[in-house]
Amino acid sequence: MCSIGEDDFGDEGATHTMLSGSSATGSVLNAGSCNKCGLNSQKLYKLNFRMAECCECFLKYVRHKFRASLGAAKVLPRNSEVLLVIDGSSESLVLLDMLHSAQTLNTFKRLHCNVRVLYIDARCPAIKEENVPLKELNELQRRYSPFEFYIIQLDREPQSVQLLKDYTVRPLDSITNEFNSSTSRQDYAQQKRKFLIGGVAVQLGCSYVFEPSISPSLATQLLTSVALGRGSSLALDVALLDDRLQGDVKLLRPLKDLTEQEVQFYVHSQDLKDFRLNDTSHLTGDSLQSLTRDFVNNLQLNYASTVSTVFRTGDKIAAKHNSQGIPASYCVFCQSLLDTDISDTLLAIEYSRAVSEIGVALQLEHSSDVLEKRVVERLNERDDMCHACRNIQADLNSGTLI
Amino acid sequence: MPIDCKAQCGNRASLKRPKTGDALCKACFFAAFEAEIHHTIISSKLFRRGEKVAVAASGGKDSTVLAHVLKLLNERHNYGLDLVLLSIDEGITGYRDDSLETVKKNRDDYQMPLKILSYEELYGWTMDRIVAQIGRSNNCTFCGVFRRQALDRGAKLLGVDSIATGHNADDIAETVLMNILRGDTARLRRCTNIRTGGSEDTISRVKPLKYSYEKEIVMYAHYKKLVYFSTECVFAPNAYRGHARAFLKDLEKVRPSVIMDIIYSGEQLRFKDTVKNPVRGICERCGFVSSQQPCKACVLLEGLNRGLPKLGIGKKSKGERMIAKQNQELALRERANLVKNDF
Repeated sequence: MCSIGEDDFGDEGATHTMLSGSSATGSVLNAGSCNKCGLNSQKLYKLNFRMAECCECFLKYVRHKFRASLGAAKVLPRNSEVLLVIDGSSESLVLLDMLHSAQTLNTFKRLHCNVRVLYIDARCPAIKEENVPLKELNELQRRYSPFEFYIIQLDREPQSVQLLKDYTVRPLDSITNEFNSSTSRQDYAQQKRKFLIGGVAVQLGCSYVFEPSISPSLATQLLTSVALGRGSSLALDVALLDDRLQGDVKLLRPLKDLTEQEVQFYVHSQDLKDFRLNDTSHLTGDSLQSLTRDFVNNLQLNYASTVSTVFRTGDKIAAKHNSQGIPASYCVFCQSLLDTDISDTLLAIEYSRAVSEIGVALQLEHSSDVLEKRVVERLNERDDMCHACRNIQADLNSGTLI
Repeated sequence: MPIDCKAQCGNRASLKRPKTGDALCKACFFAAFEAEIHHTIISSKLFRRGEKVAVAASGGKDSTVLAHVLKLLNERHNYGLDLVLLSIDEGITGYRDDSLETVKKNRDDYQMPLKILSYEELYGWTMDRIVAQIGRSNNCTFCGVFRRQALDRGAKLLGVDSIATGHNADDIAETVLMNILRGDTARLRRCTNIRTGGSEDTISRVKPLKYSYEKEIVMYAHYKKLVYFSTECVFAPNAYRGHARAFLKDLEKVRPSVIMDIIYSGEQLRFKDTVKNPVRGICERCGFVSSQQPCKACVLLEGLNRGLPKLGIGKKSKGERMIAKQNQELALRERANLVKNDF
């Protein structure tokens, strides 16, 4: 049958087909003159929609994007204590390099903040202890002096954060073996990681955390949050500022407007070498997260403009605020604002589970009261958690999340 | 090894519910499926006693199951509804003519009156003729836009209070993903609503199957031996929806509850005050619901009648330029004729 309805048509009529094209269409050109400053250069960077420019002009442009995102939103007060979280990925190295360069500028242009760098050792059991990238981290510490580097294992409490020089690798307890599904395992690990970052920031006296997410990764995050049922809090999952960390710590994403191509060119120009440990979570079975990542990667290759549309959709979504006069309640696990009203959809989900247990007996008069009671009871069982965290809880073999 | 029905009715389970993963016997599955739709109708207050409701019937699985279940629940729970079937004949040879036969069979089986409205009588064009003029690249735009308005016209003609459509949970979750992929915040806001329209001059549309899974609808139709038409339209599929559908099917394999989770996410989204929210009004030409002036159906029809079928395809400004150019040419020709007459 035909499944095209009114929702399939945009205001401009038939503009409902995806535009094909890859994001990686920029190129690094050999010697030539820069279209911006006119000087001859050994390497020229040609981004989409921009003229070819020399390394200095490109760096000026891309660093300005980073500074502008912080400056326009006026979110970082002067002399703030900042914790930068790196994971060895290209984008985290770019943010580290940008922050370092912003500290070395003259007084007028300097970014006035004190930076500490945190690496979270979250290797999965398949990765051996000798593969923890201590050598690379020490090299970074030397290169980006005087930043202090800290390290912590994902299974530890925030108090056990250590300076990189004092750290010795220990076996990592798996915190995620107890889940029935790979989706819940990864969702739990993500929330746990965020909880740990907040705790470490408080421990080190930092009121701001910098996270190196760029636009394609935020597009993936947006779709993942939708699939996990985190619609009410997804604005904060992709926004410049996320205030759900403990102790009034604020998480900032200053690279959110950077594209993958800009990161690649930056890495090329500054000779950075990423050392992110291979993610082996996909070996434990498909998850909503891995499928969404594959879907966005495929879009990035074939319909790159759609990825940027998804990212920009995230920019239009507003964070939920508490209604005036009603005391706010937050999810005990992810710290998202909870709903005060019962959603019809959540009621329908519980209703489905309940009717399957009654079956033909539904036709008996008395069963409808029993049913209603059972549905409301189930919904109220964990009313201190959001719907997505309740899903994680349901996939836990034993015990509770908190 | 045979498994007992989860509802402990004493029967052996004969199927696994796609939505919850529970093993049920056929009778318990039917009871659960129907009870859910009844619950949706009651909790969302979709109908009022004594209302006349048009069931948008295409002959496909969703509308066939919707007509069957609405008739059954109307009798079982005494809703007091006057149900009628409303079908649109787009004029697609080899597709709609066959599916209309299925709708006629439904009419006889369910003893419900049927009204068929054709594009030919409403617009003076069949889809076959439109495709002959525009080709296959944009034909779905014409079909979809005309169909929406044709349902409104039919509902007005029948004097109904609301139109019940067969949108199921998968369709709604797909639409949420599709609107995110194309950044359409206006439609993202309203696509999860169980009721749309219903203001003074519009007839409301309701989705009683909003929480029913496509797989369960197929299963219900299969075990109830309902007659439905399952051939795909002979014209082109829609690109955005195709991507969203394939993605959703992959997600559903990993976690079946993802469909409801996506609908829930869609409902929870709030937009910044700065985001444009087009107001839906009434087209000043035809008087039917629209957020543009004139409505898309009027622009597309004007394009067909002027011999400029691409008029409504693409930006409005482009269409206006096409009209201006044609008017200029017509004026020139008229002036040339005048000169000729002078001699």
